[in-house]
Amino acid sequence: MKALFLGNVAVDTYEGIKGELPASLECIIINDPVDRSLLPGAASDADILVSNRWLADFPPAPKFRLVQSVATGVELLHMASLPTGCAVCNAFGHETAIAEYVVMAMLALHHRFFQISGEFRERGSWATSWVHSGVPHGEVRGTTLGIVGYGRVGREVARRAAPFGCRILAANRSARDRDSDVERIYPLATLDEMLPLCDTVAICTALGAETTGLIDAHRLGLMKPGAFLINIARGQVIDEDPLFAALSEGRLGGAAIDVWWQYPSPNEPNRRGSRHPFHQLPNVIVTPHNSGWTGGMVRRRWDEIADNIGRFCRGDALINLVTKV
Amino acid sequence: MKTAFLGNFGARPGVWEAILKKTTETLDTSVLFDIDDTQRLIPALADAEIVVSHVWKKDFPEAPRLKLLQSVAAGIDLIDVPSLPAGVTVCNVAGHEQAIAEYCLMTMLAWQHRLIDIATAFRGGVWSTGGGAGGGPTHGEIFGKTVGIVGYGKIGREVAKRAIGFNCHVIAVNRSPVADKGDAAEAYPLDALDQVLPRCDVVIIAAGLGPETTRLIDARRFGLMKPTAFLINIGRAGILDEEALYAALKDKQIGGAAIDVWWQYPTAAEPNRHGSRLPFHELSNVILTPHCSSATDGARERRFGTVAGNLDRYVRGETLRNVVLTT
Repeated sequence: MKALFLGNVAVDTYEGIKGELPASLECIIINDPVDRSLLPGAASDADILVSNRWLADFPPAPKFRLVQSVATGVELLHMASLPTGCAVCNAFGHETAIAEYVVMAMLALHHRFFQISGEFRERGSWATSWVHSGVPHGEVRGTTLGIVGYGRVGREVARRAAPFGCRILAANRSARDRDSDVERIYPLATLDEMLPLCDTVAICTALGAETTGLIDAHRLGLMKPGAFLINIARGQVIDEDPLFAALSEGRLGGAAIDVWWQYPSPNEPNRRGSRHPFHQLPNVIVTPHNSGWTGGMVRRRWDEIADNIGRFCRGDALINLVTKV
Repeated sequence: MKTAFLGNFGARPGVWEAILKKTTETLDTSVLFDIDDTQRLIPALADAEIVVSHVWKKDFPEAPRLKLLQSVAAGIDLIDVPSLPAGVTVCNVAGHEQAIAEYCLMTMLAWQHRLIDIATAFRGGVWSTGGGAGGGPTHGEIFGKTVGIVGYGKIGREVAKRAIGFNCHVIAVNRSPVADKGDAAEAYPLDALDQVLPRCDVVIIAAGLGPETTRLIDARRFGLMKPTAFLINIGRAGILDEEALYAALKDKQIGGAAIDVWWQYPTAAEPNRHGSRLPFHELSNVILTPHCSSATDGARERRFGTVAGNLDRYVRGETLRNVVLTT
């Protein structure tokens, strides 16, 4: 049995789990930048691919039976280039980290955390303290949180937000059973009914045909004046131009943006995440697509991947199956 | 009913008006912001039956008719109880505990997730501080962390309630015995503090300031904490030894801190005075806020409602709430 670990994330994963892999498993390691001359040999006799990508122009891989993604999203795996019958599995473990980020961002936005701590550090401003009669900041207690996409991340957000005394609504593509944390789950088609009720909207959905451009100018306009928007899903779920307009004109109270419309490249390592200067808006918390990137996430994800490779080698049922090609 | 609103909290514009708006009984009110203005303080106190103030100074003039001193704060450390006339009931307010609990969770999360560093670097275009797409180091989570709460009152319990949603293990430490642990997994008396501190990833100071808590956390106790420990002080500054905390943070003896309460406060002459004579604001491992963790819109509403309710109750001769003591 041979496994090909391809790319930097897969190589890090290999280092983290090599002690847990079956002794009989032979591992081929190809790190970034990928030397394409190594690919035909590796691809021709590997049974398992561990990577986040298999591109359309990669060489034939006739023996692949398990493609174990090192990420949750499998958009870089070109399914048509994989052999028939190959199982494609993904990995999770990020929902804890991202749910913490969403609650943190919601608190930071309502409490005006960056403004208050920044002005106190930089200028010794006590304007917001009890010493002065400053404008009070908000709290999340009693506010309404709307979670768009009630999957693994969304549920974890709801579980953490509920003890704060938030009213929690959710919207989801497919029907979901309501749990005790959430008051109502709207079908995605009725999202327009939910948005005007929310003080905070958290986008936790996957990117797909129904969610691309989901939050457009019309829907941003349905949100409460002063409401906050948090996006940890994918940039393309929100229309870039109307979001920038709503934030810069103050129609929305603020946002926390972790996922972007464009990403850095080797030539442009400090490329901005958007063609608009979101980073110049004081009411926006900007982070570099790292909400899930915690030590705990990496460890949980490695454990899932090691577990699945072990299952495959033993012939047991796989976990996290996305599809069979 | 003669009622005097005093001091830079009770007599602040926006405060006394908001409180009066919530009362239903009629009060004959006077308002004095500057309590050092003795000329005006003498007549205000001479016939007041109710005083709304968070301060009572030793040298205050006679208040022979005073029956209710209603604070607009939770702590009564600025009220000099021995100099009050006999028969005065002192009441405080709550309603801030939910706001402060939110602050505690927010700063715990922000510290573990390195939010300020990552977001600030990314404003400058740097992706790699935060990992993920930028390939930098991972950050932490509060999942599974041990949270020690020193002073397990209303605030501490609200913190525990929220922290367990994140799978935190909560240990409560309290002066008086804890009959109901609430959401804490363990509860101990204050003399077990030295055994609890080495176990904590987060230490939250939520105690009141009193003889047993003054300089409770000194150099020796900072030495007992984990080198990665994160300290949150939303109690009173005097509970921590100022120099020892500064040294522990500067020398990275502990990981970091969120400080909301200070050893010194701004004055009219020095409105932007730092909260300490030591430059905490120059340390990168400190989150500093200007005693505002409770200053939320919701907390104000709840507090003002409590004060107004007590004023009405007093006028109607009903039992007062939030009674701290009677002289």
